[in-house]
Amino acid sequence: MRKYSALTRAGIMQELQFRLGTFATIFGNLIYLTLIYNLWKAIYASAGTEVVNGMTFSDTIIYLVLATALFNFLEMFIVWDMSRSIQSGAIVLDLLKPLKYRRLKFFEYFGRNVMTFFTTFLPTFIIVFFITKGAIKIGLNIIFFMISVVLALMVNFYIEMFVATICLHTESTWGINIVKESIVLLFSGATIPLVFFPEKFRIVVECMPFRCIYDTPLNILLQKPGYTMDTGLWTMLGMQVVWCAGLSVVSRMFWDISVKRITVNGG
Amino acid sequence: MKNEKEYAIVMNGVAKEFKVLNRREGLMGSIRDLFSRDYRTVTAVDDISIKIPKGQIVGYLGPNGAGKSTTIKMMTGVLEPSRGELIVNGCVPYKNRTRNAEKIGVVFGQRSQLWWSLPLIESFKLLKEIYLIPDDEYNEMMELYTSLVDLEPLLHKTVRQMSLGQRTLSDILAAFLHNPQIVFLDEPTIGLDVSMKAKIRELIKELNRRKNTTVILTTHDMGDVDALCERIVIIDHGKMIYDNDMEHLKTYYGSYRTLKLRMPGDVWEEEVIDESQTDVMSVISDYQKKGKILDIKLEEIATEEVIKKIYEGVAG
Amino acid sequence: MSETMELRAKRGLAFYARIYRKVLAQDLKSKMSYRADFIISTFGMIMTNAVGFISFYILFQNFPSINGWNYYEMLFFYGFSLIALTPLQCLFDNNWSLRYAVESGDFIKYCFRPINVFFYFISEVFDVKGLGQLAFGIMVLVYAWIHLAIPVTVITMVQLVLLLITASLFMIAIMNFAAATCFWIQRSGYVMVLMFRFKDYAKYPASIFDGLFKIIFTFVIPIAFIAYYPALVILRPDEIPLLSYLSPALGMLFFYLSYKFWMLGARKYNGTGS
Repeated sequence: MRKYSALTRAGIMQELQFRLGTFATIFGNLIYLTLIYNLWKAIYASAGTEVVNGMTFSDTIIYLVLATALFNFLEMFIVWDMSRSIQSGAIVLDLLKPLKYRRLKFFEYFGRNVMTFFTTFLPTFIIVFFITKGAIKIGLNIIFFMISVVLALMVNFYIEMFVATICLHTESTWGINIVKESIVLLFSGATIPLVFFPEKFRIVVECMPFRCIYDTPLNILLQKPGYTMDTGLWTMLGMQVVWCAGLSVVSRMFWDISVKRITVNGG
Repeated sequence: MKNEKEYAIVMNGVAKEFKVLNRREGLMGSIRDLFSRDYRTVTAVDDISIKIPKGQIVGYLGPNGAGKSTTIKMMTGVLEPSRGELIVNGCVPYKNRTRNAEKIGVVFGQRSQLWWSLPLIESFKLLKEIYLIPDDEYNEMMELYTSLVDLEPLLHKTVRQMSLGQRTLSDILAAFLHNPQIVFLDEPTIGLDVSMKAKIRELIKELNRRKNTTVILTTHDMGDVDALCERIVIIDHGKMIYDNDMEHLKTYYGSYRTLKLRMPGDVWEEEVIDESQTDVMSVISDYQKKGKILDIKLEEIATEEVIKKIYEGVAG
Repeated sequence: MSETMELRAKRGLAFYARIYRKVLAQDLKSKMSYRADFIISTFGMIMTNAVGFISFYILFQNFPSINGWNYYEMLFFYGFSLIALTPLQCLFDNNWSLRYAVESGDFIKYCFRPINVFFYFISEVFDVKGLGQLAFGIMVLVYAWIHLAIPVTVITMVQLVLLLITASLFMIAIMNFAAATCFWIQRSGYVMVLMFRFKDYAKYPASIFDGLFKIIFTFVIPIAFIAYYPALVILRPDEIPLLSYLSPALGMLFFYLSYKFWMLGARKYNGTGS
């Protein structure tokens, strides 16, 4: 464990070194968020009703703003890292290291995530909390939200890792990555909350793991029906755990098979 | 005294300074760095003056970080000197980067400047367009290349598919293609095997001879220096510590010889002798008193040793 | 002096156009030899556009109009923005590699040729898959155009082409600025990622922003010029705002500034040694 905590620390340090970067990210996010805010304000103003699909304007804004903050928080570049190290041949060295490659990546990014949690997610959350004046209820839901976010992080990591593993088989990283990105962003509810989806479509989307990344934690935070302690919180968290375990096994198996293939073929 | 026009490069008190941010250590240090404006000035090149005549092959040597690539960057017009006067091919490179670039060729380390995914011949054709090389000159050059190296198998390979040696060879050919006045070669033989090194040196020498191209060569490989350079310039910590021709280097340190004697028991004894101080014969006779000399070798001191002596001489 | 003039003449527009054509032809040839990559990338491009469209469609299932703009007018902005973003995708894609070139030190190689560094760097990659986006955009625009019953005249066509070309300059300029930040900031990839996300909002009318933000999205991060202002010329020919008229000139100016910024970065980068 010591080895990995050193990695996490290195990740934090690295993140801090990029001094202007931290300012730029915060500033950029603020602009981006006002963009979302204005867009949805206009949308709700045109709708004529206060509540659409059970979401008020402030619900939607909290949802989308925090989704954006989560996006920054969860963002990983494993697919790119991987394809670069494959192209440069460094992958062979990475695989030879005594640390398990997947675990190594996980802790490296975990360090980054801890840092971005404090630099982007937390400030955003605090701002949203005060601006919406009590629309976010503070209670046990915060704890469940945190648990849910950690699960989301893991689900996201396993999906990333699965897609990165595909890169061991093909050189067209760009195509693979863009497919992953667009699918994840749409089906996870990162751009439009899933409740706005047409009924039949939504049922299909809800059967996929992507909702675990954004939709589930955010609905838990907002205490939407179906996500509270009385109505199904445990089911939702349970689903996250199941997806997490399932994806972990699948991505692990896929990785092992692929690595074996590489080592056999000599890369 | 040579006319200024006969020089490919004239440097007069050229210096280059950089501002570097002082980074702090540790976690708190990096947090404080976020707000830091604490810079220090580093002098990468300090008051260098040299004149390089046309057609000369100059070895530009020095340890890592001595300021070699900064000098090259100034000569190629990529960097502006902080002080001093720098004239390349009769003009100021920084003020006329593109015009300067027309008359020079550069091979920078292991970084290929060719189009990665194109066959070599296509890269050549693009260079022909970029440097506006007339058809007849281009064809003449290609003929010359064909006579010097086995070009045909390379032409239809992409740079991506080439071995390091082939890539270096291609880069050198590309650098000479537009018949530049000066070619800058930065570590051209790094990482290559012995036969490829020999091939590359032969090629550079031949191109220099045929086209009277001035060559500025930075290297750590003394084989390159021995095989190619007429003149050696050594810099350390940005300062020029040696500038003279290869002959001088050899005569200056040429009085040093290494005497090797095989003594009974098959032991080789080594003795570095400064002939201006001691007589070789007297050393031999001293040894003879100890026992029967089975074999004698007298070797010139290696250039590498000489340069090491120069570094040490200044540092110490 | 005269030599400089001579050089200008030698390496003028015609020179660069010829070089670009040759590089492009070669690049295409080599891309075609990686068939699988080409197919997967094109599929990815179609997917991301399809997903964009689906999001758009879902939104309008819930809200039939936004800020007085109906579904087809919104589609018009959408199609317009997709087309205007194509030159960025096709011609300026190498900006994404800039930070890797800078960090690894490979960037220096672009500085030794007697041609413009920006041109040399950018010309290296032509992104074919952007053409998929173009086709998608044209389909959407034509569909909206027909439903809105906008007359097809020589004037509207000329306006459309001119406006599309100048509109495209804005996003290119934004990405030039974003890419060039890597000359100053280490690991600045997120700046590009962030800016690139703004393009998704180019398809919404700028009238939804008020006060300060309208100014920001018009003059600081000018995404309002990618579709909204230029498209108004065709959508609302009776009440064209001044900014719509100015958009071609502003586009060129903004592009020029981004180019200068990029070049400044390149010069600064070489100055940091290494």
